[in-house]
Amino acid sequence: MTLPIALLGLGAVIAFAIRKRVQYAGPFTVGCLLAAIVLVVSFDAGTTTEVLGLQLRLSELAQLGALMLLGSLISLALTVWIDEPAYNFFPTALAAGAAVLAVLTLTAPIAIYGALILALLIPVGSFTFQVHRNRSYEAAFRHFSFVLLGGCLGLSALALSGSLPRDQPPATFVLLVAIIVVAFALKLAAIPFHTHAALLAMEVPASALALYFGVLVPTTFIAFAEILTLSGLLPAIVQISKVQDLLLALGTASALGGAFLATGSTELRRVTAYSVIANLGQALVGIATLSGPGIVGAIAIVLVTGAGATQQLLAAGAIERRSGADQPSATVAPLAALAFVIGGFAMIGAPPLVAFPGHFFVELIAFSYSGVLGAALVLSTLGILIAQLRAAIAIFRVAPDHWRVESRPVAGVVGTLLFLALLVGGMQPDGFLRPIAAFADEFIRALRPL
Amino acid sequence: MLMLGLVAVATLAANGAQHLRYMALAFLGVAIAAHLMAGPDISVWQAALSLAAALVTTAILFIAARDGRFGEDPGWRLWVATIVAATTTAAAFAFLRTASGEDVHVSVLGADPSGVTQQAAAFWLLSSGVAILLTARGAVRGSLGALLMLTGTQLLVQLVPGPQFALALMLAWLQVVVALAGAFLIVNERALREA
Repeated sequence: MTLPIALLGLGAVIAFAIRKRVQYAGPFTVGCLLAAIVLVVSFDAGTTTEVLGLQLRLSELAQLGALMLLGSLISLALTVWIDEPAYNFFPTALAAGAAVLAVLTLTAPIAIYGALILALLIPVGSFTFQVHRNRSYEAAFRHFSFVLLGGCLGLSALALSGSLPRDQPPATFVLLVAIIVVAFALKLAAIPFHTHAALLAMEVPASALALYFGVLVPTTFIAFAEILTLSGLLPAIVQISKVQDLLLALGTASALGGAFLATGSTELRRVTAYSVIANLGQALVGIATLSGPGIVGAIAIVLVTGAGATQQLLAAGAIERRSGADQPSATVAPLAALAFVIGGFAMIGAPPLVAFPGHFFVELIAFSYSGVLGAALVLSTLGILIAQLRAAIAIFRVAPDHWRVESRPVAGVVGTLLFLALLVGGMQPDGFLRPIAAFADEFIRALRPL
Repeated sequence: MLMLGLVAVATLAANGAQHLRYMALAFLGVAIAAHLMAGPDISVWQAALSLAAALVTTAILFIAARDGRFGEDPGWRLWVATIVAATTTAAAFAFLRTASGEDVHVSVLGADPSGVTQQAAAFWLLSSGVAILLTARGAVRGSLGALLMLTGTQLLVQLVPGPQFALALMLAWLQVVVALAGAFLIVNERALREA
């Protein structure tokens, strides 16, 4: 099980050495990521191994997550190689891939957390770009600060909860779990901790932004669910409703706030970034319900949102590059614009895409929890729908006879492939939802240990 | 107890330093004192690993500075960070220290098997790091705050039962990556300042 992680880690070192020869570094990166996917899929689910006393386990969710997240990384590496040469991206993608696999397979909460912080720090180098002309340095610094603030506080709270005797007053556990929740909210850019993500959305290169929102944010959410399951804190959370209330409040604020902010913008990157934040809010509500359908829906939402965000941000980058100083428009890149629009279907959870079951489960369980909560999530989805429609109208405002099909339409092709994958997943939802349901079983068992 | 004092003094020195290279050396002092505090409770290999990571971190910051004058004047932030750190440490220690009924005896020079001084040092480093990071204007003090927080986190992780060497290895790598990312940001900040 360590082989794919070692392969990606070693690949990152080699890609760093050859990074300036993009014609070699690009295919090498894609090849390493493909090989890692093949290795992960070839192992039987449930395979375990041990390294220095740390156990790694390839669960069904880890296999699914690896397939989707490394698949997104391949689409990013392909785009950077063919359409948007940025040589620092290749080692970053491989190192991030190794860290993502470590997060998905490790079983010790502190080790998962450590690997997650590593994964979130790796792209700092690819965030800065032409620092004299924009605020990408400030965006990268703010991301660095948020990750380490949330990371160290969360890791410390986790270490304290693991070392304190169990006869602590309830207030101690409430405080520790609240710190862990806020630490994750900082890393997930949940509202009101989203200011660094807003700056990133405007200032950093589209490929690096897609790496963050399409791969690392979903990984962070899965790590959160895994850490809750493995840390032994869930029974305490059930007994003390304050933590559940905190999660619900953060989730609802992000769902509504993200949708509201998305509707207020027609800038493609912002629309995507705030749609991701709104969907993460819905997923947080799903986790906060501490129910099987809520957990299945939450994980399904974040995985599909990651794929949709990758698709939309790559398309937005392609349109912006070709539009230059002009307003982004389908005139210069109609295929990329089409990829952006169909990516919006994944963001709103429209049937028959595989995005639908996740949204359906979470909204259903939210209604059974309270009518107001359910209505808030439906309102959030409506907000995302309006934002995506506004963005689509803004880029397709020119008549088709003025369109010029772009040369090297990588973003368009990648977007279409991702859309087809989500469509096929929607036709066969069992293959997508079964691994998530297996994780939800583990979560529920950890909630009420015998 | 002596090591706790050394951690506090070295943290204040790092916090008050105007030049990145002095800051890096003071951080090395913090890291050495913090890891010596664990004493015989951690293996020689684990201690060697943590000290090697601290040395590499210091070297990275030292090189990123490029000359002895580059840095960030803390100004009033020094006092805010110190007051906030002292207050938060006391509050965190009151709420989160081990709540067992046993008596704790701490000597000035001897080892502390109860881990109380280690927890106090961890809370101090975390509080100082948070205060420095939140008041930082740029990557110089931002990196220092992050590294202090990480050192405090390492102290707390040492108290958790489990595969200690593997966790120490992971945190050592994390420390080096934080230093590298911080150095990268420092170089960019310098390029912006000099433009």
